[in-house]
Amino acid sequence: MTEFLAFFKTLTPTGYLFLLLTALTVISAMGVVTARNPIYSVLALIATFFCLSGHYILLNAQFLAAVNIIVYAGAIMVLFLFTIMFLNLRREDEEAKTNLTKIASVIVGGTLMVMLIMIFRAKSSQLPVGSTVGFEPNTGMVENLGHLLYGSYILPFELASVLFLIAMVGAVMLGKREAGDRHF
Amino acid sequence: MFPIVLLSVFAVVLLFLGFLKSRSVLLPATLLFLVAALVANFLDWNKTYLYFNSMLRTDNLSMVFTAIVLLSSFLVVALSGSFEDDEAAQPAEYYAIILFSLVGAIMMIGYENLVMLFVGVEILSVAMYILTGSDKRNLRSNEAALKYFLMGAFATGIMLFGMALLYGASGSFTLAGIASYASHAQQGLSLIFYVGLLMLLVGLLFKVSAAPFHFWTPDVYDGAPTIFTAYMSTVVKTAGFAALLHLLAASFTYVYSFWGIILAVVTAITLIAGNVTAVYQNSFKRMMAYSSISHAGYLLIGLAALSAQSRQAIVFYSLAYSIATISAFGVLMLVTRQRGMQTLSSNPLSNESFDAFNGLAKQNPLLGLAMATSMLSLAGIPLTAGFWGKFYMFSTAVERGQIWLLVVAVLMSAVGIYYYFRVIIAMYFRDGATEPIRISPVFRYVLVAAIILTIGLGVAPGLLQGLF
Repeated sequence: MTEFLAFFKTLTPTGYLFLLLTALTVISAMGVVTARNPIYSVLALIATFFCLSGHYILLNAQFLAAVNIIVYAGAIMVLFLFTIMFLNLRREDEEAKTNLTKIASVIVGGTLMVMLIMIFRAKSSQLPVGSTVGFEPNTGMVENLGHLLYGSYILPFELASVLFLIAMVGAVMLGKREAGDRHF
Repeated sequence: MFPIVLLSVFAVVLLFLGFLKSRSVLLPATLLFLVAALVANFLDWNKTYLYFNSMLRTDNLSMVFTAIVLLSSFLVVALSGSFEDDEAAQPAEYYAIILFSLVGAIMMIGYENLVMLFVGVEILSVAMYILTGSDKRNLRSNEAALKYFLMGAFATGIMLFGMALLYGASGSFTLAGIASYASHAQQGLSLIFYVGLLMLLVGLLFKVSAAPFHFWTPDVYDGAPTIFTAYMSTVVKTAGFAALLHLLAASFTYVYSFWGIILAVVTAITLIAGNVTAVYQNSFKRMMAYSSISHAGYLLIGLAALSAQSRQAIVFYSLAYSIATISAFGVLMLVTRQRGMQTLSSNPLSNESFDAFNGLAKQNPLLGLAMATSMLSLAGIPLTAGFWGKFYMFSTAVERGQIWLLVVAVLMSAVGIYYYFRVIIAMYFRDGATEPIRISPVFRYVLVAAIILTIGLGVAPGLLQGLF
């Protein structure tokens, strides 16, 4: 306990912020999977994304933080909410999980957790240690990112457009109303 | 590089051709585009290039893999028959998505950077999710697409996490950078390097449906329209194995002691799970799904051994497997359509069972011959291409000294003969009320070409040797 307190005293304000954000992230991520109401679940997911953006800012990646909020917390979450409202989920629709499923998932999840803790305790000396020496503070800035994307990564960056085109063609193809379809 | 540019442009052109009233121009146009890409592919023959800051590599091996992928998709597109019997079909979109997905496949074959691998895998996977669900009014197709999408997205997530960890350990996304980090294996590598490698392997093994990650395969292959099942089980598998081969051979040879045994165990599980479960299937299409899992197992033998012969063995095996699979699915499509017209039943399950093939060879000798050849090739009977494919695979295992794996593989090929011969017995020795099936000229050419290729490569396997 004293060890922990001593560790706590050495922290800088950034360290406190990191701990706070991490705790919030974990709590809201737990909320996503434990919430019974899908709307609460989605709201907890938005909170998780905001906390993650906070982490990005702590890592000096401001652009990534902004994009994360715009794309995930903004666009994708709105899509999720729309879908949930269209599906009109009610409490009685909820599928009851059998005990077997619950036991199996507890065993699988528990094994994974024990394994991760064991590995961390055994090999924590081998984990890479970050250092701020020689860190270029402009790394995460838009300008540097742009130079990278339009410089050495130009080919994958351009070919990602093929991916988006496929997704668009597919969405239009699957979503197009056919003769005899139900009209809303 | 040339095929990537050409295919991207051609696919957009195809989308515009879809505005035309007549659908009949689409099939010849697509075939022409694929031939053009195939020709352009060989422009760099015998040269090695690295494009765009070492993002993409073309050498003879990648060109041969690209050629296999393009040839398979040529055969599949030719068999699609322009979707003339389906009013609701949207052939322009289907062909465009196929051409776009080939861009992803070629990226997976020639990548030199993990970012390229990721974008390529995503292009191919997203296209496959869409094509799986393209039969919108069929519930099984919808179910298959949703299952494939959810599990595939999860696998992609695991793969991406693995790439991030590899970057964290080695500080590089390029295969050469990771290899130079891994060459210090004696001094001890960071733990997250191994975890990242494992997660990357899990993601890629999911895409090629290797065993503990194969549970999506039967449902997806069964629910997807047959023509797209043929495409999925050939092109995706070839591209996936090309990607795995290049990844392991270029970056991770130094840590073979770590992943070699893991891959060998995965191989054994894949072989056993695929072959044994295939025996119990009553639907031919589902049997083919399990058979494709088992063939992923045979291809994995070459990876788990990773010797000098592995490249040649994987190239030969994927070519033999692709041709045989496409012609088998082609015959299945004709038979299913015929049954559907005869019995007027909309239940496709009974039309795809083994019984649907009863007495097929008596009235339709060509269909019988094509199916028999491809079944013999898949079973690995001598004088077919499949025999030499298996032979090369097994010899890589011998070279590495993995005798236990070899024993499992030989036993499982014996199991495979049982279920492949069920079809042949049904076609030749059972009686069934089959009328002659009308075969369109394109179908005839494709089936004859598949028979000639399978037997030709079986008689003279040296044709492909010395190419790369």
